[in-house]
Amino acid sequence: MIRWFPPQWSERYGAGMVALLADTYGEKRVPLRAHLSLKRAAVRERAREFGFSGDATGPGERLRAGLALILCGWSLFMIAGADFAKFSEHWKIATPYAHHTLPNIAYLIVAAAGIAGIAVVLIAATLTLPALFDFIRGGSWSLVRQPILRAVVAVASLSAFTALFSIWAHLINNRDRNGGLVPYELIFLVWCLTVAVTLFIATSAAIVVVRQMSLTQRVVRTLVILSMALTVFMLAIMAGIVLWWGSESIYAPRFLRNSIGSHIIATSSSFPLALVLAVVLMALGLVVAVLGVVRVTRATKMSHVAA
Amino acid sequence: MAKRADSNGPGLGRSNEPPLLILMSLASGTKHGYALTKDIEDFAGVTLGPGTLYGAIARLEERGLIEATPSDDRRQPYRITGGGRAALASAVKDMRALSDVGATRLGLRILSRRVRNNVVPRGATL
Repeated sequence: MIRWFPPQWSERYGAGMVALLADTYGEKRVPLRAHLSLKRAAVRERAREFGFSGDATGPGERLRAGLALILCGWSLFMIAGADFAKFSEHWKIATPYAHHTLPNIAYLIVAAAGIAGIAVVLIAATLTLPALFDFIRGGSWSLVRQPILRAVVAVASLSAFTALFSIWAHLINNRDRNGGLVPYELIFLVWCLTVAVTLFIATSAAIVVVRQMSLTQRVVRTLVILSMALTVFMLAIMAGIVLWWGSESIYAPRFLRNSIGSHIIATSSSFPLALVLAVVLMALGLVVAVLGVVRVTRATKMSHVAA
Repeated sequence: MAKRADSNGPGLGRSNEPPLLILMSLASGTKHGYALTKDIEDFAGVTLGPGTLYGAIARLEERGLIEATPSDDRRQPYRITGGGRAALASAVKDMRALSDVGATRLGLRILSRRVRNNVVPRGATL
């Protein structure tokens, strides 16, 4: 249980906490309530350690924590976006041509904002590369080796999985690809889970690495601007999807009812599970990103005041 | 203008918040974790979970309101610092002012000398 806490925290309070548990419960099993209390405290201390909450860290760390939150929000959007892209693949075939305008506009907003968001993340990653190379050349590879290698393995595995899945998808017919073959739908869900796990590993690696590197003020300022833009793109994506959903529920409700995911949990309404999950994930991602924006803004103000 | 009910000293929170309870407990002497939880249970009727207790201890130590004392075994005792005493005194004063207002309005006996002398007849009860 003490392992969940940050190492510095465990060193300082671990022994005392263990003694408290021993004095309170003796040889008896530690009850669930105490476990939950410890888990909650561990999450709080980890969040404080990374600068996501509290005021124990300086403005620089809090700013990076805010940027990390925005990146986490974007990761949730990537998962949701993959789900939406798969779900809405053949919407044009199912929607009467006369009613293409509104969903087309919405789809374009989603696509454009999505591409812009990916571009922003790639630019941000490229900006930090010189600092990363300096960091590794300075002998700090061992500090970031594990998270980077985990991310590389995860991305490679996902790429292989995606390639094989795509080959299978092209070998089966249209009907099977769109809800007619239950194993395909189940494998698709597994693929979604793999995407989510890979994104989590890659995002965690990025956060761990950026926390350790030293970045110039110019790079930090640029990252702040890019992350604000990313948050705006997230908002645009979500607005686009909601608009698309609304228009499809009016012009092509059968498409929503018969799409992938509708056979796993049957629904006769215009609220297919896959789309509901996508929007919920995006809403969560947006909340996380906005928290990040607030953190970045406050840290930036503090830096100015301190200066 | 009456002070806000939640402005108990330098951000110690309301009367049943863990940091305030820990300071109250340590005001009567140095204690380790188990002794703290037992004392707080006795005087406040509140059971602090291990995570909550040590989270509050960490915050108080960061702010210099308590400090660890040397110890030979794994039970780490803590004591209140001068700053902690001042913070606790300020919080208690605020709580007392608030309870005096409540007691006055209910017509209860006021223990605070200040209010008894100025506002409520001695020994007035509900």
